[in-house]
Amino acid sequence: MRSSLSFVALAALLTACSGEKPANSSAATGGTVILALFGDAISIYPPSIIDLTGRLVQDQVFDRLAEIGQDLNTVGDKGFAPRLAKSWKWASDSMSIAFSIDPRARWHDGKPVTASDVRFSLNTFKDPKFQSPVASLVTNIDSVHVQDSLTAVLWFKKHTPEQFYDAAYQVIIMPEHVYGAIPPDQMRTSPVARAPIGSGRFKFVRWDPGERLELIADTGNYRGRAKLDRIIITPTPDAAAGATKILTGAADLVDNYLIDRAGELDTSKVARRVDWANFGAILMAMNPNDPKARNAPHPIFGDLRTRRALSMAVDRASMLKNVFGANGKLSHGPFAATVSYADTTLHPAPYDTVAAKALLDSAGWRVGPKGVRMKNGRPLRFSIVVSPSPTRRRYAELMQDQFKKIGAQVDVDQVDNATLTARQNNHDYDALMASYVSDPAASGLRQAWGTEGIGPDGQNFLRYSNKTFDALMDSATASFDPATRQRYTSRALQTVINDAPAIFLYDIFVVLGMNRRIVTAPMRTDEWWVNLADWSIPPDKRIDRDKIGFSPKR
Amino acid sequence: MRRRLAARLGQSIVVTFIVATISFFAIRAAPGDPFSYSAKPLSQSLREQLRRESGYDRPMAEQYLRYLRKIARGDLGYSFNKGEYVTTALAQALPRTLLLAGIALVLSFVIGIALGVTQATRAGWFDRMTSTVILIFYSVPDFWGAMIMLTIFASWWRLFPPGDIVTPVMHDYMPAWKAFADRVWHLILPVASLTLLSLAGIARYQRAAMLDVLPSDFIRTARAKGVSERGLVWRHAFRNALTPMVTILGLTLPAFLGGLVFIERVFTWPGIGSLAAEAIEGRDYDLVTGTVIVGAILVVFGNLLADLLHAAIDPRVRE
Amino acid sequence: MADTTTASRSFVRRLLRQPGARWSVIAIALLVVVAVFGPSVLRHIQGYGPNDQLQIVQLKNAPPSWAHPFGTDRLGRDLLSRVVTGAQISLAISVVAVALSITVGTAYGLVSGYAGGWVDAVMMRILDGFLAIPRVLLLIALATMADRMPLWKLVLLIGGTGWFGVSRLIRAETIVLRRSTFIESAHALGASMTRTMWRHVLPNVLTPVIVFATLSVGNVILLESGLSYLGAGTKIPTASWGAIFNDGMGSAGDVWWVLLFPGLAILITVLAFNVLGDALRDVLDPRHLHASHTPQIAEAATSATPEKNG
Repeated sequence: MRSSLSFVALAALLTACSGEKPANSSAATGGTVILALFGDAISIYPPSIIDLTGRLVQDQVFDRLAEIGQDLNTVGDKGFAPRLAKSWKWASDSMSIAFSIDPRARWHDGKPVTASDVRFSLNTFKDPKFQSPVASLVTNIDSVHVQDSLTAVLWFKKHTPEQFYDAAYQVIIMPEHVYGAIPPDQMRTSPVARAPIGSGRFKFVRWDPGERLELIADTGNYRGRAKLDRIIITPTPDAAAGATKILTGAADLVDNYLIDRAGELDTSKVARRVDWANFGAILMAMNPNDPKARNAPHPIFGDLRTRRALSMAVDRASMLKNVFGANGKLSHGPFAATVSYADTTLHPAPYDTVAAKALLDSAGWRVGPKGVRMKNGRPLRFSIVVSPSPTRRRYAELMQDQFKKIGAQVDVDQVDNATLTARQNNHDYDALMASYVSDPAASGLRQAWGTEGIGPDGQNFLRYSNKTFDALMDSATASFDPATRQRYTSRALQTVINDAPAIFLYDIFVVLGMNRRIVTAPMRTDEWWVNLADWSIPPDKRIDRDKIGFSPKR
Repeated sequence: MRRRLAARLGQSIVVTFIVATISFFAIRAAPGDPFSYSAKPLSQSLREQLRRESGYDRPMAEQYLRYLRKIARGDLGYSFNKGEYVTTALAQALPRTLLLAGIALVLSFVIGIALGVTQATRAGWFDRMTSTVILIFYSVPDFWGAMIMLTIFASWWRLFPPGDIVTPVMHDYMPAWKAFADRVWHLILPVASLTLLSLAGIARYQRAAMLDVLPSDFIRTARAKGVSERGLVWRHAFRNALTPMVTILGLTLPAFLGGLVFIERVFTWPGIGSLAAEAIEGRDYDLVTGTVIVGAILVVFGNLLADLLHAAIDPRVRE
Repeated sequence: MADTTTASRSFVRRLLRQPGARWSVIAIALLVVVAVFGPSVLRHIQGYGPNDQLQIVQLKNAPPSWAHPFGTDRLGRDLLSRVVTGAQISLAISVVAVALSITVGTAYGLVSGYAGGWVDAVMMRILDGFLAIPRVLLLIALATMADRMPLWKLVLLIGGTGWFGVSRLIRAETIVLRRSTFIESAHALGASMTRTMWRHVLPNVLTPVIVFATLSVGNVILLESGLSYLGAGTKIPTASWGAIFNDGMGSAGDVWWVLLFPGLAILITVLAFNVLGDALRDVLDPRHLHASHTPQIAEAATSATPEKNG
């Protein structure tokens, strides 16, 4: 309103006087929130969701059986809050858990949620035809038995510490009567995949790809209606445009505020700064194999000494200062410092250019003409593939210069996100700035760095394989004693660090720009949006778009 | 007249066909194909299947023929990223570009021509000063000029909105007249930027054209016959200088659309330019081809219109 | 011989009498000197290069000072060094790209005009096709599909999309000459085709081509900076003016030097070339073109004049 021209202000006044009353919004509820997120959703069909925006939509529109607690404890079932399952009962041998579905739960089309929906959902996630990234995370769940319409019994292959987490966190419950009718190969283009029907506190309204995605509160929801009326996602890939939008109040949240300009949020009267610690980390992956000859070792990165030398050649602390100022978090290893199994006593090899050069010499890379090292006629030259993310690109540029100082000639290959993902999946790179999201559970490490995680469905994209690591993680995930678990996990992590498959750079630090009128609910480290339904806008702070309620559009 | 129209129409179609060919080969020249770069998890076998479905595994010549046949039917392909047909996406974006470009084009020409004429007739310090200012506007990179406008008028002074075509959310709830005002309010800054940056070129052409005509023989004769200075300028010189301007319209149109791409980017105006940039980032081959073809069609038919206008103004041209 | 020297002397005098021509010639001369000698001289004085990150923490975004007259950028690189190197790079890109455009355009126009008949018709239609595609659209489609590219590719891309207007002009002139009896008699006397073309076509089109070249240099610099803005430009960390400007856009508003200096460099250079181009056009008297040649050539000459972004 403050930015209006006088005639628009007059118009607003006239509208207010025309007596439009929002329907269904009391003083406690109401509000429209515009999220200017970095990327548009690639898919909003749960088995295919791989991106952040997709997950955000999924978490509002769908429910899980139980929701993990704020502290993200993945062992046992303490801290898990009931969702679609209002209670559950463990079998005495812990090989199965019987979940009782809340009888009040309804799909957004009115039909009740039943146990066969649970069975259908698990089978869909496990179905190889959908190639869901979740499939590898639920291998321990054997099957679902429908005891009656409101009781679903999940059977497990083994009794593990995290079996409840596997069942409750990973599987999204979808309506069988909606999605069961479409065969997998037609799901890609089916309209139903783009108009999800779930049981969550927000309903899907519409999606204009590239422009907006709209969700509205489910007023009859079994857990109570959301405090907000409406969520609108407007993808804004240009960080500068996003910054302008949040500062002028045209958007209510921006999720990738430029780090260098974060000070603008502190001095703004319209927006404020919210720092979100999360489970993401950035590393520079070094391809152990030759991108041109799949199974041959990489001519440069195949040698452990070279990898360690390159790790020691970069001044990670200074780079952190340059990019993040006082706020960054250095990586301690292949994990984010925020996970429960983080061990901050671990750290990669220290910054030491003298030692790095010596290592390179011993690996056979001798300094040649023009300062570039050579070995058997081949120069120490490689490229780093990076996405348009400003922070990652800056890191790549900083490292390019530091590598030059020890005799490596590095090219920075900036490509778009889609190409980066493709090249990462196809192992078509020398070095690559990869984002790596740690699973809240230690068992996720087996997928990320274990031999079992290698393959098109696994998450070990680097194809790192070390038997010692596998054995240590087996011991870790099998033990029920937390101290033992941590000991094994720490040793496993140290193994990875010693092998230097990547240069572990920094924990992802996200600055959210948030409009000052919004009162947020607690944010979880893995997902800042998880309690969106409990965000609210105090009645005295509401602006015109908060007051439209559920009135139909003109 | 009708014969001329038919001939020009035929030419336009031929040119469009050539543009489609150029687009096809230029974009196929890039390495890979749309499916090697898909961000969605696709297995090798699924990739092969998609390739076969879309015909990417066939030899180039056969792909080209399929492509032509599809274009002739009006099928510009399917955009995987947007999940809709290319024609649908273009149909949505085109009117927004036409609105912005149309108004800016008319304004640039009117102001540009007026400036050019005034400069040519009022030689001296006015001419020199205006020329300098116009030249500066002409030498500024378009995106920089647009960003400066955005910063001054949408950030420092919150007079105008920082982009988009309508106020998000609220626009759908506005009464008709307010919705109209909202659209106008969002139009002003992008139109102003595009106009300011484009009129420089037009003013320059018009001034040169006028300076060409003014000293010429028939003008001297008219002056000798006693026609007033004003009458000379407006009826004789202007008329004669105007006809090449109509040709200039055709020539400046491609460059004008080029500048439009930057303006749409800076002001997040969801028109053809933004669509092109999005499509290119997402390796959406069909959509990229579609936008290039549509851009060229705009130029070609803009030329056609200009030519008809030329014939309407200048009777000598109508054989 | 004496005739040409007096002719050229009077030409220069007339040129310099045009408003602004004097300063633009000086500016361009200065620019060329800086571009040719600047980088090596600076490197000798400073001891470091434009891509050297001097101090990534202390010297990040340092304001202008004695040690760094233009300040430093977000990676701790000296901005003066980068802008001076940028002069070399941007100018080199422009000159080579424009030369390429002229060469290709001339070749295409000569072939088309000389061949005549259906070959000419087909070539002209293809040319119409190219002319119809907005250059920026074509550039970003081709450029971004190939990701960031080495300098020579960028030059090829920009040069390869700027020859269309020139070829029309050359073709128009070629056609006129081909029909004239003068050529026939010269040919009858045994002069080779290429020699005839060289001696007769080119001098007649020289003036519009010179004007085209001058005005194009500015346009290429603008296009290169536009491409960098859109994310499709020279390889990291090349210090072209467009790239320096683009790097500076992510920094906070109070870091004004990272935008001002490359921006001014672009503006002043493009302005200088445009002023010179205008002056050349006024002096080389396009009215002669109109008076002594067909309307087709006059029109082709106009279409050869580059439009910004075109």
